[in-house]
Amino acid sequence: MSERYRVGVDIGGTFTDIVLLGSGGTIHTKKISSSVGDYARAIVEGLSELFVETGLAGDAIEEIRHGTTVASNAILEHKGARVGLITTKGFRDVLEIRTLRMPKLYDLAWEKPMPLVERYLRQVVDERVDARGRVERVLDARDAERAVDALLAEKVEAIAVCLLNSFANPRHELMLKEIVERKAPGLKLSVSYEVLPEIKEYERTSTTVINAYVMPIVASYLRALRQGLDKAGIPARLLLMQSNGGLTSDQAAAERPMNIIESGPAGGVVGAQALARAKSVPKIITFDMGGTTAKASMVEDGEVTRAAEYSVGAGIMIGSRLLTGAGYTLKVPAIDLAEVGAGGGSLVWIDGGGALQIGPESAGALPGPVCYDKGGDTPTVTDANVVLGYINPSHLVGGALALNADKARRAFEDKVAKPLGLALEKAAYGAHLIAASNMIRAIKSISTERGRDPREFALFAFGGNGPLFACGMARSLGMSRVVVPPSAGLFSSFGLLYADVEHHYSRTFRRLLRQADLAEIERAWKTLADQAEAQLAAEDFAADRRRLRRSAALHYQGQSYELTVPVPDGAIDARMVEHLERPTAIAPARTSRSSLYRSRSWGRGCARARRSPSA
Amino acid sequence: MAHDPIAFELFKNAIFSIADEMALTVFRTTYSGVLKDNMDYSTGFADGDGKLVAQGLTLPGHLGSVPTAMDSIMRHYRDDMVEGDVFIMNDPFDGGMHLPDIFVFKPLYHDGKRLAFACTVCHHTDVGGRVAGSNASDSTEIYAEGLRIAPLKLYEAGKVNKTIMTFIEKNVRLPVKVFGDLRAQLAACHIAEQQFAELVRKYGPDETVAFMRETVDYAERLTRAALSKLPDGEWSFEDWIDDDGIDYGKPIRLFVTLRKTGDHMVVDWTGTNPQVKGAINNTLSFTKAASYTGIRSVLPPGIPNNEGVFRAIEVICPPGTVGNGVLPAACAARGLTGFRMTDCMFGALAMMLPDKVKAAGDGGNTGISIGGYDANRKPFIYVDFTCGAWGARPWADGLDGNSHMFANMASHSIEVTEAEEPIQLLAYEFVPDKAGAGKYRGGVPFRRDYRFLEDEGVLQVRSDRRDHRPFGLYGGSPGGASENYFNPQAENRVLPGKFTMTIRKGDIFRHVLAGAGGWGDPLERDPAAVLKDVRNELLSPRRAADDYGVIVDVARWAVDEAATAARRDELRRARAWDVVPKVQWHDPNKPEETAVRAVE
Repeated sequence: MSERYRVGVDIGGTFTDIVLLGSGGTIHTKKISSSVGDYARAIVEGLSELFVETGLAGDAIEEIRHGTTVASNAILEHKGARVGLITTKGFRDVLEIRTLRMPKLYDLAWEKPMPLVERYLRQVVDERVDARGRVERVLDARDAERAVDALLAEKVEAIAVCLLNSFANPRHELMLKEIVERKAPGLKLSVSYEVLPEIKEYERTSTTVINAYVMPIVASYLRALRQGLDKAGIPARLLLMQSNGGLTSDQAAAERPMNIIESGPAGGVVGAQALARAKSVPKIITFDMGGTTAKASMVEDGEVTRAAEYSVGAGIMIGSRLLTGAGYTLKVPAIDLAEVGAGGGSLVWIDGGGALQIGPESAGALPGPVCYDKGGDTPTVTDANVVLGYINPSHLVGGALALNADKARRAFEDKVAKPLGLALEKAAYGAHLIAASNMIRAIKSISTERGRDPREFALFAFGGNGPLFACGMARSLGMSRVVVPPSAGLFSSFGLLYADVEHHYSRTFRRLLRQADLAEIERAWKTLADQAEAQLAAEDFAADRRRLRRSAALHYQGQSYELTVPVPDGAIDARMVEHLERPTAIAPARTSRSSLYRSRSWGRGCARARRSPSA
Repeated sequence: MAHDPIAFELFKNAIFSIADEMALTVFRTTYSGVLKDNMDYSTGFADGDGKLVAQGLTLPGHLGSVPTAMDSIMRHYRDDMVEGDVFIMNDPFDGGMHLPDIFVFKPLYHDGKRLAFACTVCHHTDVGGRVAGSNASDSTEIYAEGLRIAPLKLYEAGKVNKTIMTFIEKNVRLPVKVFGDLRAQLAACHIAEQQFAELVRKYGPDETVAFMRETVDYAERLTRAALSKLPDGEWSFEDWIDDDGIDYGKPIRLFVTLRKTGDHMVVDWTGTNPQVKGAINNTLSFTKAASYTGIRSVLPPGIPNNEGVFRAIEVICPPGTVGNGVLPAACAARGLTGFRMTDCMFGALAMMLPDKVKAAGDGGNTGISIGGYDANRKPFIYVDFTCGAWGARPWADGLDGNSHMFANMASHSIEVTEAEEPIQLLAYEFVPDKAGAGKYRGGVPFRRDYRFLEDEGVLQVRSDRRDHRPFGLYGGSPGGASENYFNPQAENRVLPGKFTMTIRKGDIFRHVLAGAGGWGDPLERDPAAVLKDVRNELLSPRRAADDYGVIVDVARWAVDEAATAARRDELRRARAWDVVPKVQWHDPNKPEETAVRAVE
């Protein structure tokens, strides 16, 4: 039988990378310019060209796995849908007030991110549910209809519904849902209880709104892609990379686009995870450095580390995560990445106190580093690497991009070395070391700041610039092992080929653990498990190919920091409760409470193919 | 520069990441919302002589607090300190700020030589005293405010002092929370100790000490270079606190003079009101924090927070004033004075740099605490600090729903509050027509309605900016006054700005923040921006016409251009400004209230 192929497609701002991996281990790759505005076209064209080059046909493709920035771009560029929001009377501005905090101190020029739903499109309804889910004020059907009518009259393209305390009782939200479905069948609708039945009104509202905001754009993108593939005779199913590092079907992605917002950077981390498993390296830190930013994440015991929430478009994060308030809050699990503004294009400069600084400003693609000879005159990290001889001036992008090393040396001499009174090489090496030390802060923020010792980890470096810095960084962190995969620049699309289908569900269930009705906890868990099973069944995973895992987020009564602990299989009984309390047992005498239940489910559907990227 | 600039930069990165990691440790281990949501704590690192080298990024209000506290520790223990000691202190009259802020310091040694100090200061939920939360604004002596801890050794050579621990335990309402947070502080010091030892291993003790000194010198150079670029001269500004909550209606004057020569700045608070009976007297350290915050906001970002900054900026405030209280001044609620001093600093800086500084915001946070005992005599304390309207800027509107610059606080989640406290929130939303008009308008304030669910409790409120509204700048109008109401759905009684009262089940307290001041002539505001506010119900059509001269056609959501031009002419003539007023505390279109006090 002829070889069957899985396809990984990763779309970036400039290039679309396509990788085909055959069941027999054959690899084909293609790098073409992204078709901005109609990203689907480049994918279909790229595949068609590959077919011509290789003689393959559409039916040889088993599956297409895709990482996309369509959703995050819509948010960053404010090009999402015209959304209407319905919320509880008195709380019209929760979305806009946010948490009050700003990400920078002493900054008079700070601007809050513009709310994704303007105030006049935020309708309130007179209703009230209390914190325990009891209905205090019944929602009047006429009031509900009025709110929906008002938004429809404004010609909204999607409606988000988020009422206060709805995580504890969704009755009124479901009533609004029914009205919207009746009055505007087919209108995109995002209901907080269905999207994120968790406590904290701002986080829930923001997440529900973001979901609504990108629904139309993601749905039409996926529709266009499907149609293009069909037309090109490629019937293979389409899977999307999610922010959490797992795949999902295209239908599920269109319904819950909030899960694919950070689809882009996930592929590389998942690839590193697969490679680590294959090489039996239990603990790795991934380091992905491109032109403008560097990202670090951690894989422990073969599992990527996830954050329960993050901010879309928060910009560059310094290692410290103390100052929040930038970007748009999204409470869905995502691979926990620390990002710093250090890339090949980061500018090298001297501050008013006479200290050498790197970034966060970047020379970007244009004018780019001095050595690109496209008009850039401020030295960059790449220029430092050229001066040091770390980059071969005649072999970048396979020699397609010739570098002007002399120009880089002159700029470095004039703007850095002379003012600091240092020799040229010393200054360039200094810039290299400082860039590395900035990136070390990103690595520390996902390791030492979380109580992990980087010396126990191996460093997996990829991205265009990652391998250049890996050894030096590993040395100063005391890490003894560095792994650089082949084709480090294409590693993100390879990574897509090694992901599993994965779904996460969660809900808030606040009870004192020792006084809780265990049967009630069991039922709460089962609701989540049923949801997960149904989703995987809908994606054609037979029962023996599904795997469920669960965890609980616990905190002491009165303490605000939550600790997430895995909940093993088995009945929830007194012994289990004791087991759950153990990891949080800083002061065992105190009562702890179970706050949330999370469930994850995997469908392992493609374990037969060879997985080593070096194959 | 004496040092290798590259090695120095690497060292600086390392030492600031220790300070941040200490801050994260507190953040993760704390028991209290005040620390986690309000970030009312700071962490830092001082050299072996107690000079601040690095401070974590948390609360501007604590800038300058660590040096004063360190001075006190050094004064008492310079020659009486050994490895394993840990110091504790909260006495405002011996290095502290107000009693809830407990400092914990740990000297760090290498080969028996003291090289550095790990420093933490956290606002604790309660330190005893007559009102739960130890924040009352109506105490008149420090002795009523809670447990006063002089600089003491909490650990002596690694051994805990049980006497101190027991004293604390028996004098605070929620010892579990207080000890939880003290442990968080000790954990942060421990993390600092480990990481500092790493640093010393890497650089050697001599180089480490030299680099710490250089970090301070570097900050001083940056500060002085930035100050040199500002104009030389002298500028003054005054602002007012409505009253201290004891002597009702008696305004409290804050007066600041900035004297800038070359690379040096003097901030002189001479002329500020004598200290008052109510608990809003600052320590000098807090007055310094407000002064630094104002100046830092006009300096370039990236200057490290340390001793070097303070060398270039001298702060003067005579003892016995509300900015530098002496025994027995009560100071628990002095946050208010810090906020107002920051406003006053912005006013003075706006005179110095007209196109760089914002008008007054809502006045800083309102403190609301509700405490009592449930049916089982179990105490509850709910403390909420809230603020959110920024003054307009010379280039943009003020922010709506953003913390005051002096305290970058986050709000508590309403749903979490309702799940944990006997409180229900009935409203948290913007209030229209209160933002000061201007070419750029002030931030829109919000209101919060609290319903009380226990049988009985004590409500204590510290609010301001009611008689003395947030000022507008360069033609901008002041913001609307703050408001407090009792049971707005029924009797709707107006409450004073500062009060303590008993409340019962079902009672509702409504607080409306003051609106922020505007910047520039409202008649020059882009009519499209006015239309947008009307459309979003942040501004009524009537006020659009009266304040901005913009006539909005609400049927078509469009500006009536002709009517707007006519209305603007009419307003311009009626107003008859000879010169645009630099500062306004009252509405220009209500002549009976007009009292424009342009400050020279």
